[in-house]
Amino acid sequence: MVQNRNKLIELFVGNIANAVLHKVLESAIQDEGLSDYYKKEQTTSRNIAITYREKINPVDANLPEKDVKYIREKVKKKVYAELMLRISKGYKGINLDLMDKYLEELLIETRII
Amino acid sequence: MEISGRVSKGSRMDQIYIPKNRSGLAIGSYVVIKPVIEPKFGDKPCLYNLQYLEPIKLEIIKRVMGLIDDYVENVIITGSFLNKGFNFGDLDVLLITNERVNGLNIENKLYSDLGIKTHLIIINSKSFVGGLESDPLFEMMLSRCVSKKRLILNPKRKIDYRLLDLHLLKSKALIDNFDVLSGDEKYYLTRNMIAIALFLQNKKIGVDIVDKKITRIFGLKSIGLIKKNTLNKSDFLSQYKKEYNNLFNKILGGIQNGAKQE
Repeated sequence: MVQNRNKLIELFVGNIANAVLHKVLESAIQDEGLSDYYKKEQTTSRNIAITYREKINPVDANLPEKDVKYIREKVKKKVYAELMLRISKGYKGINLDLMDKYLEELLIETRII
Repeated sequence: MEISGRVSKGSRMDQIYIPKNRSGLAIGSYVVIKPVIEPKFGDKPCLYNLQYLEPIKLEIIKRVMGLIDDYVENVIITGSFLNKGFNFGDLDVLLITNERVNGLNIENKLYSDLGIKTHLIIINSKSFVGGLESDPLFEMMLSRCVSKKRLILNPKRKIDYRLLDLHLLKSKALIDNFDVLSGDEKYYLTRNMIAIALFLQNKKIGVDIVDKKITRIFGLKSIGLIKKNTLNKSDFLSQYKKEYNNLFNKILGGIQNGAKQE
């Protein structure tokens, strides 16, 4: 299926946001004994994000600053909204600061930056 | 040449007697002494919800169990290795122990001895019980397994809505990425969601039970339609979204109620 670049970036954003959200929520739970089990596999979202990234040009280099800025802002907005939804329902232990940390890690891992 | 012997007590030094009539190991030659650790191939493992297991797989399981040291409280084999046929990724091995164990060493040992890639999950007994009580995926993982020692699988469920939220989030990927996911991935994500739903309804969870529930909810002739990736996208996806949103709202409601009670 041929998809245009903007569409691919949107799909990438959705999956990275899901992966970041997953990591932040995982940290909130902090069940040390089971952590190994939970970390058995990377989330499907993260793996799909990598698949989309491989289709976004430039494939072998970091994305232009304009795209990076767009992706960063969009992901943060999505993750923030999801986290706030949970916090508003009384979800305890969410560390919002982790969002930036995990996002940057994933952006590096996927060669966005 | 290999000779086994028994260490016997001496007055000043202990010794190992070996027969005089032997080929090799001449007087004065240097030898290595090491303990004989015989893998316990004879132990009969306990099978849970397995109607059939290929004899060769059972042999492999016995060897795995025999090769893992005794200080481990229990060894449980689970995952795709137990599915019929030989289409498995790796061997999922759950080690229950309260000791510190070097997982990488064990993985390497198993790989060099059996040539099979294993994925070890090392967990202490308290977390094992905790996982069974509060985690639907853990319960499903153990619904079909082979265990070195008998398991008592009768957990009293404790609902942790935050944990269920975390698990359910994985299944969200199917909504946005239907076209790029393989049949197996779609099956895994759907199974994940349905297992959580059954857990919340306090119903029994097992691979077959979840499969039946999936076929019923989505009106499928067989579960193979998902695995073969031959689904009707619009029908499946609209039902999936409905199920996902219902479940997500229930979980959020649970988080909210939990917070109010604190």
